[in-house]
Amino acid sequence: FAGLADVSIAEDIPVEGEITVPVGSHSPDEDYSTLDEPVRDTIMRDLKAVGKKFVHVMYPKKSSALLRDWDLWGPLVLCVSLALMLQGGSADSKEDGGPQFAEVFVIIWFGAVVITLNSKLLGGTISFFQSLCVLGYCVLPLTVAMLVCRLVLLAGSGTVSFIIRLIVVVAMFGWSTLASTAFLADSQPPNRKALVVYPIFLFYFVISWMILTFTPQ
Amino acid sequence: RHPLATFFHLFFRVSAIITYLFCDWFSNSFVACFVTILLLLSFDFWSVKNVTGRLLVGLRWWNQIDEDGKSHWVFEARRVPTRAASTEAEARIFWLGLIICPVIWTVFFFSTLFSLKLKWLALVIAGISLQTANLYGYIHCKLGGHKSTSRATSSFFVTADVPKRQERRTPDHTEEHGKTGTR
Repeated sequence: FAGLADVSIAEDIPVEGEITVPVGSHSPDEDYSTLDEPVRDTIMRDLKAVGKKFVHVMYPKKSSALLRDWDLWGPLVLCVSLALMLQGGSADSKEDGGPQFAEVFVIIWFGAVVITLNSKLLGGTISFFQSLCVLGYCVLPLTVAMLVCRLVLLAGSGTVSFIIRLIVVVAMFGWSTLASTAFLADSQPPNRKALVVYPIFLFYFVISWMILTFTPQ
Repeated sequence: RHPLATFFHLFFRVSAIITYLFCDWFSNSFVACFVTILLLLSFDFWSVKNVTGRLLVGLRWWNQIDEDGKSHWVFEARRVPTRAASTEAEARIFWLGLIICPVIWTVFFFSTLFSLKLKWLALVIAGISLQTANLYGYIHCKLGGHKSTSRATSSFFVTADVPKRQERRTPDHTEEHGKTGTR
């Protein structure tokens, strides 16, 4: 390249142009139609995508729907409902559950961000928001567990109810961890899979612990 | 032309700010206020990103993941901008709403931090990130559209410089020759 050092383009030749990168599935006709589609179509399309992802979490087969079209609505709804259900346990009644509610929120979102950063640092090919999406959606089994625990606690809080709650929470914890590793572990090189699965295990363990130790006022 | 879109563009943002400021009047419960503001912020993010942007100013941005898992952020602008008076007014409302609200949430951030009401901090940070994301996305769309016009103007100025440069070249001939060997 030494010979090119003294080559220069005359500055009076205008160098300009337009580079358009043809984006895969968006042909101009499709662009036009989704740019001007009625609002109801947009809403229904997004709602259907969210619903499809919930179904995919309950039956974690190998599908790319959860990964490809990520969205964070499901995690938001799950996080809010879990935080609402976890609130009001073992706190004074004069504090209206404020710090606890924000705590659950921060634990879930901050934990998910840390796991995502961890998997990216280990060389994962999955993108930041995809990973947040998967981790958030896989909180669904634990939210169901929380619902069941609250119902069981309505009936009573003795040893039997504790055993039932323990079994339910452990089962849902296993389900969550398996579902999320089914989606996330593939994006890692094979000798790093355990390093990626271990923080996910911890994350769901902490949430399960919060659910199991919940005792209402 | 899109009064409903304009209304909703401002409605969710302004309601979130008003609820945050006056939450003590509405209800005693921190949780109810937190959830309400969070839901308002989320609806605002979705509606500005997916609906009001493309209806009011013809801009859109999204994230796309292709076959091998790489994610691309795509920013696009409508090619033929319509220049009616009502569209100008709508565009102005759009941009004003887009810019002023993140600034207000940043002010809330500092006031929450310094008055040590830390339980609201998570909510304020969520508000700032959601609104700034939309602001950044739309500015990127807008600047992407303008890049071709700025390049055209710079080429215009460069060609206008040509006569002066050629005049200057004869006295500095030796210097030019040194710099540009192939000439």
